[in-house]
Amino acid sequence: MGRSVLVTGGSGYFGEILAGGAVARGDQVRIFDINPPAASVDSVEYVEGDVRDRDAVRAACEGIDVVMHNVAQVPLARDRDLFRSVNVVGTANLLVAAREAGVDKVVHTSSSAVFGIPESNPVTEETPCHPLEAYGRAKLEAEVLCREAVDAGLDVTIVRPRTILGHGRLGIMAVLFEFVADGAPVYVLGGGDNRYQLVHASDLGDACLRAAAREGPSVYNIGATEFGTMRETLQALVDHAGTGSRVRSLPVEPARIAMRALAGLGLAPFAPYHWLLYSESLWFDTTRARTELDWEPKHSNASMVIESYEWFLAHRHELETASRSHHQSPARPGLLRVLKRLP
Amino acid sequence: MISNSKAPAVAVVTGAAGWLGQNLVRALAGGRERVRCLVHSENEAPLLEIVGPSVETVAGDVCDPAVADRLFEAVGPATVFHAAGVIHPEGRTRELFDVNVGGTQLVLDRARRAGVTRFVHISSNSPFGANPTPTDRFTEDSPYHPYLAYGESKMEAEQLVQQGYDRGDLATVVIRAPWFYGPFQPPRQTRFFSTVRRGMFPIPGPGTNRRSLAYTGNLVDGLLCAEVADAAPGRAYWIADAEPYELREVVQGVRDALEAEGLPVSTRQPHLPAFAGAMAAALDGFLQGRGRYVQALHVLGEIKDTIACDISKARADLGYEPKTSLVSGMRASVRWCLERGESI
Repeated sequence: MGRSVLVTGGSGYFGEILAGGAVARGDQVRIFDINPPAASVDSVEYVEGDVRDRDAVRAACEGIDVVMHNVAQVPLARDRDLFRSVNVVGTANLLVAAREAGVDKVVHTSSSAVFGIPESNPVTEETPCHPLEAYGRAKLEAEVLCREAVDAGLDVTIVRPRTILGHGRLGIMAVLFEFVADGAPVYVLGGGDNRYQLVHASDLGDACLRAAAREGPSVYNIGATEFGTMRETLQALVDHAGTGSRVRSLPVEPARIAMRALAGLGLAPFAPYHWLLYSESLWFDTTRARTELDWEPKHSNASMVIESYEWFLAHRHELETASRSHHQSPARPGLLRVLKRLP
Repeated sequence: MISNSKAPAVAVVTGAAGWLGQNLVRALAGGRERVRCLVHSENEAPLLEIVGPSVETVAGDVCDPAVADRLFEAVGPATVFHAAGVIHPEGRTRELFDVNVGGTQLVLDRARRAGVTRFVHISSNSPFGANPTPTDRFTEDSPYHPYLAYGESKMEAEQLVQQGYDRGDLATVVIRAPWFYGPFQPPRQTRFFSTVRRGMFPIPGPGTNRRSLAYTGNLVDGLLCAEVADAAPGRAYWIADAEPYELREVVQGVRDALEAEGLPVSTRQPHLPAFAGAMAAALDGFLQGRGRYVQALHVLGEIKDTIACDISKARADLGYEPKTSLVSGMRASVRWCLERGESI
């Protein structure tokens, strides 16, 4: 029998995929979001609301068995107050409302940003968290709240994804894809030999739904099994594209300073998370998810970058006008366009 | 944890989202039917309610009569823990009197009308200033000698509480706590840790002046003892760690705690000439005389003093026994910061 599932942030990039996955399983799905879902599905109920509004969150949890909590201000928002009010206080609102409504299970989508730059890899669920910027700290604080809610009797599982990709996922990736499509060089910092793991949205959605079906609180780190270095991932993309685009290196420290300066001036779509992590290795050991949830990712880094790129090419012209969430809209390259013209 | 079989099923906590309040609510939540909490802003409410279903919140200003009415709505026989207060006002000293005195008066009045069974008031060392000699310890018989505006405001609040008891309105207990340390610390304490870690915390003079500190867990134990002890109503008690520490021991305790939690610590220890503290205190006094408040001056001006208290009476009357001492309490504080990703 289908469960009633609330997907918060269900109109966002990943929330929509998750809601679709739940519908496919035969669940009754309700979406709670400040924006309506792009594709209206008859069987999906949409409740408009802001996660900062306690009464709205309470109403959304009414009659719900499982909550998939995905509302978040993403790093691109670069707004400390929003990180706190949405990611921390909003999560508290949701957890309290879920407990009051007698929800059986909450799956909280966290982030690998809680780890900052890890001292060593692979990163397991037991690796200590040292977030480096406001977004990561807010996501960690939300995890602390999840643990407190568990102590108070609510069944909450935390899922931490690596960088999410998939068709339709844009944000900062749009800049990369535009460069590749136009045959401009793309850049790695230093040698680009940092091992950088991605995760496909559908693999992540599968992990979240499996976590939702498993009784008892837990934490899972989720990422692709097949991945390589930053350079290998980008090389696979430019090889596939065949536009003459090549992978080039920029010196790490000057590039970081430049990214920070451009972002500070509002001339490029970077957040601290980007300049801190782009040249660092961060990859998860996903043993726990694979054994406890019987989860197996279907996509490699290379296959998902290529898939996203193809989606970008097919939709490039429509994207100019659409108004959607940070991760669904293309980030504007700003002054980065100058890099494209370099010989 | 103290077991309180005699404690009423309902507790009211003001200042519930504060440093002490967060610790107290967590100690109360499991054993009470309802813990009614006053928080300052709406955003703080869910962060407390998450602790458990017994936790209820009312958001608003402790000086607002309508807020106080809501706080005591349908409360009945209950214990009030009045922890709301301003220590470091923003810019002007007026807020100290509005909140610490005015707020206390209002909460006392509403508690009396609601039929509250005991009113535990959280006070401070500041109504007593600094010890007159380096070996002196404050006892419950020490005379008031308030230190600047905060000390005066907390003294006036104590006097209001005592009047309430003398009129037969309420069974009140005053708990005097010195410098806190413990989980849920405010940013100023984290800054204190950071300056110690980077070897930049200045000790005026030799640092042999003694300071009593209260680990928040010990203080919570003391409050729960005060809630039920038969001898307590109408009295005041000092609650702190077992013994005062020398200031240099406190700084060393922070270093040891940071190192034990895996954070490398600078070996540098700057010293200030003793008169620097005295100058800061004089300037702080001058500005506060004009209604101005500068936190850094205030902290520097007070750090040179001996502020030590004797907890014998709390031990005898309340059955209070401090369980946590400096380094283990500081370690718990450091862990609390690290769990939340705060950089020290």
